[in-house]
Amino acid sequence: MNGVHDLGGSDGHGPINPEPNEPVFHAEWEKRVFGMFLPVAACGYFNLDEFRHAIERMGAPSYLNTSYYEHWLHAFETLLVEKGALSAAELAARQQQIAEEAR
Amino acid sequence: MAITAAQALAASASDGGSTRLEVDVAPRFAAGDRIRTRNINPRGHTRLPLYLRNCVGVVAADLGVFVFPDTHAHGGDQKPQHVYSVHFSAKDVWGREGGERDTLVVDMWDDYMDPV
Amino acid sequence: MASSAHTRPLSEVEIRVKALESLLVEKGLIDLAAVDALIDKYEHKVGPRNGARVVARAWVDPAYKARLLSHGTEAIAELGYTGMQGEDMVVVENTPEVHNVLVCTLCSCYPWPTLGLPPVWYKSAPYRSRVVIDPRGVLQEFGLQLPESTEVRVWDSTSEVRYMVLPERPPGTEHLSEDELAALVTRDAMIGVTKVSA
Repeated sequence: MNGVHDLGGSDGHGPINPEPNEPVFHAEWEKRVFGMFLPVAACGYFNLDEFRHAIERMGAPSYLNTSYYEHWLHAFETLLVEKGALSAAELAARQQQIAEEAR
Repeated sequence: MAITAAQALAASASDGGSTRLEVDVAPRFAAGDRIRTRNINPRGHTRLPLYLRNCVGVVAADLGVFVFPDTHAHGGDQKPQHVYSVHFSAKDVWGREGGERDTLVVDMWDDYMDPV
Repeated sequence: MASSAHTRPLSEVEIRVKALESLLVEKGLIDLAAVDALIDKYEHKVGPRNGARVVARAWVDPAYKARLLSHGTEAIAELGYTGMQGEDMVVVENTPEVHNVLVCTLCSCYPWPTLGLPPVWYKSAPYRSRVVIDPRGVLQEFGLQLPESTEVRVWDSTSEVRYMVLPERPPGTEHLSEDELAALVTRDAMIGVTKVSA
């Protein structure tokens, strides 16, 4: 698809800004998302091409305004629900429960 | 069944993630061939970047047979085909704005190209 | 007020991650020990020091260098580096005539077994968008100025082949041991945005 992820040659994205001595992960949640990739993929619900395409399907504003591992999280949530491993309702319910416990 | 830590570590160190296929498929191109990339604009997944549509290049090498992402991302059809390393001049890709001497090398699936 | 193990509220993304992980565990789809083991491996055990050893070996051993440039996957495996996002490796050599630089404009493809996980800048829109159209401008931002006579060759990783740059060996390093050479090699030089300096 001609999505905004297809970035080669486009303008206006700002300076490259490499972070000196950058850590491998910037937050605990990023580690969990990374670590989940192979175990989730091994369940066989989706292949890597579907995973990439799920990220491409985020839509331009979401894609550009969320971080790399948020893209992965979006792909997991989207594909696991689309493929029937989870239901959207149970995911939402669990998020609500965790949010309430955290208050 | 959830994979164990041992299985996960072994899988991460193996070539099980390779999408290379030991399938006998005839290549349409060979090193040295001049090609033009296709002007495709699929609604679904593709690995032919926008900036390289309808662009002339030269095949540098045949990398072998691999899964085709454009179909694999939609229903799992592997459609095995050759992938080639293709050289493009910056001038051919970007026109006037391309660097005089600069080049781009991009992997192209058989289905992305036509002969020139 | 509920007791909590954390000292600040959870962000939305943290809530989403906890929700997903807990559901996947409950359904028996993932084992947390596997998640933990992969985090540990890629945070602590796999990184650019691997690629630096490959580069140093190629600098001191011409026969290894020849194998590396013709059969990258096998040559890299000789040093014990294999696996995910490196199953099909091609190593490209920088020379005074040709300077190679790598990108994945469409996502973030990167050779994990030799370089570890990619830095944020490599995966982000500014680098991915600009390096293919203005590689010399990008290299200048990284402090590298190349003569007009050098060809800058940008490799856009569209397939599952993973690329790595074999940087030029800096002059004046003839006396260094293989380990000392490896210590000079940076991740950025193996991506191609800088050169190795002595």
